[in-house]
Amino acid sequence: MDGACCGPGYASPAEAMQAPREKLLYTIALYVGTGLQKPDYVATIDADPESDTYSQVIGRCEMPGIGDELHHMGWNACSSCHGDEGMERRYLIVPGVRSSNIHILDTKLDPRNPSIHKVISGEEIKRKTNLSAPHTVHCLGSEIIISMLGDAQGNAPGGYLHLDKDFNIVGRWENSMGEIKFSYDFWYQPRHNVMVSSEWAAPNTFMPGFDLEEVGHLKYGREIHLWDFEKKEPKQTFYLGEDGLVPLEVRFHHDPASTHGFVGAALSANIIHWWKDGEDWRWEKIIDVANEPHPDWPIPVPGVISVILLSMDDKYLYLCNWLHGDIRQYDISDPHNPVMTGQVWMGGLLGKAPVVNGAKVTGGPQMIQLSLDGKRLYVTTSLFSTWDNQFYPEIRTNGGVMLQVDCDTENGGMSINPDFLVDFGKEPNGPSRCHETRYPGGDCTSDIWL
Amino acid sequence: MTTRTITLANRDGATYEVDGRQPLLKSLMDQSVDLPYGCEYGGCITCAGKLIEGEVNQAPQVALNNRQINNGYIILCVARPLTDCVLEVGVDSHDKLYRNPFLDPLEPHELKADIAAPAPITETPK
Ligand code: FES
Repeated sequence: MDGACCGPGYASPAEAMQAPREKLLYTIALYVGTGLQKPDYVATIDADPESDTYSQVIGRCEMPGIGDELHHMGWNACSSCHGDEGMERRYLIVPGVRSSNIHILDTKLDPRNPSIHKVISGEEIKRKTNLSAPHTVHCLGSEIIISMLGDAQGNAPGGYLHLDKDFNIVGRWENSMGEIKFSYDFWYQPRHNVMVSSEWAAPNTFMPGFDLEEVGHLKYGREIHLWDFEKKEPKQTFYLGEDGLVPLEVRFHHDPASTHGFVGAALSANIIHWWKDGEDWRWEKIIDVANEPHPDWPIPVPGVISVILLSMDDKYLYLCNWLHGDIRQYDISDPHNPVMTGQVWMGGLLGKAPVVNGAKVTGGPQMIQLSLDGKRLYVTTSLFSTWDNQFYPEIRTNGGVMLQVDCDTENGGMSINPDFLVDFGKEPNGPSRCHETRYPGGDCTSDIWL
Repeated sequence: MTTRTITLANRDGATYEVDGRQPLLKSLMDQSVDLPYGCEYGGCITCAGKLIEGEVNQAPQVALNNRQINNGYIILCVARPLTDCVLEVGVDSHDKLYRNPFLDPLEPHELKADIAAPAPITETPK
């Protein structure tokens, strides 16, 4: 379980890296958009190579209703509560981005089969806060905040839902959204009193699918925002322009003293780096994934960076090009000068790796989660049901897959583990699509240190 | 109540009597038709179906672009039937709902209503 002292999590990122290996994974699986009238679920996957059921789905916690579109999730507590022995990392907070229902799963009673502890209905959230479309979950001490991408009618910019530790709605977390146009992901670094948030689009824009023309009509984001975390209001905006179209996943260094952070601009296929230089915050583009020619396309295919992630020691940055089909590993020891150290291919539109470990990969590498020690990267292939249906329509019948990549933490380098494959196309209720993953002991996108 | 008869062409032509003042999704689900849905306010496209015959008022919907509307799609969670209607419902009616946006771009008049250009004037044959 979590570290030795008092509360949940670990005293430091270095201590987290020494934690026991993950044996169970919790992964979102969807039926939304497939035509199967079944609820979305959280799959438990056996990740213990010593076990007879290694690399299989061993538990399925179904949501009470259909149509949620489970997407991202988070823990009720992380290392920010490490000093609080009254807290434990027990509840997984699993929002439905379409329904706005927020499900609280208890993972302690039976870790292999989490159960529904509570559901906060989307209807209650809309009524009390005028917010909808929950996305990123972070805990702050014993409280929880969730980025909400729209108002109750699905219009931007949304805001932040504040829950107490018993999952009651406190209200809206932010005091002001300032001039922010859209919401999506966020991460905070309390020692510097800063939070950074990114921009997707209004739910009414992105949920029905992606119309490229809407980018030109400014219906998609191209800015990131620095917040005064204590005042709960934005204080500075970086206009990223064409370099930063659709900035999605936000990652600060895990080191709580650092001011360096990164965001992946999905459509521009760039990585943007920010840091504090004296008293000023600055940003720069550090990675630019070139568009690739495609025999059937009139224009080259953009990478579409759907996710980025930092290893716990802040040495490596991983990114996925969902349309190209590759995962890349960069050494960011010098965050201004990343060096590419590894690359693997799975699925994608360029046809470089249509079959991996004997399974047809429909979709491309999409969500990733890294083990605390940095050695195992778990990858899933579905992005968002309506967008999947546009770019990879066969995913409806083939389902998604989960693969695992071995990462060399000393010299850099990546290779796909030939022994690990979870084919969600073979699920007992029919093909489903897999999305975000978390581990019971915390992972590389859940924990923040005060 | 104004009763309308709704025929589901891709559900063996099953027919349902519905209240014209209610959104179709609610009326049909109240009669145990199993349909996909998400937001229930007309913004997420999950519940889209195809109107084969008849007329609906779906003014509150914001999910469809004009290409999808021209292809007959309606948003069942907000659409109210103005006449008897024949529909196709569920994901098996979504053959033309999704398209690769890079391979098959929209014309300016095919965007969503709030940003669409006026439809081009087509010459009417004399
Ligand atoms: S349920 Fe979302 S548009 Fe109808």
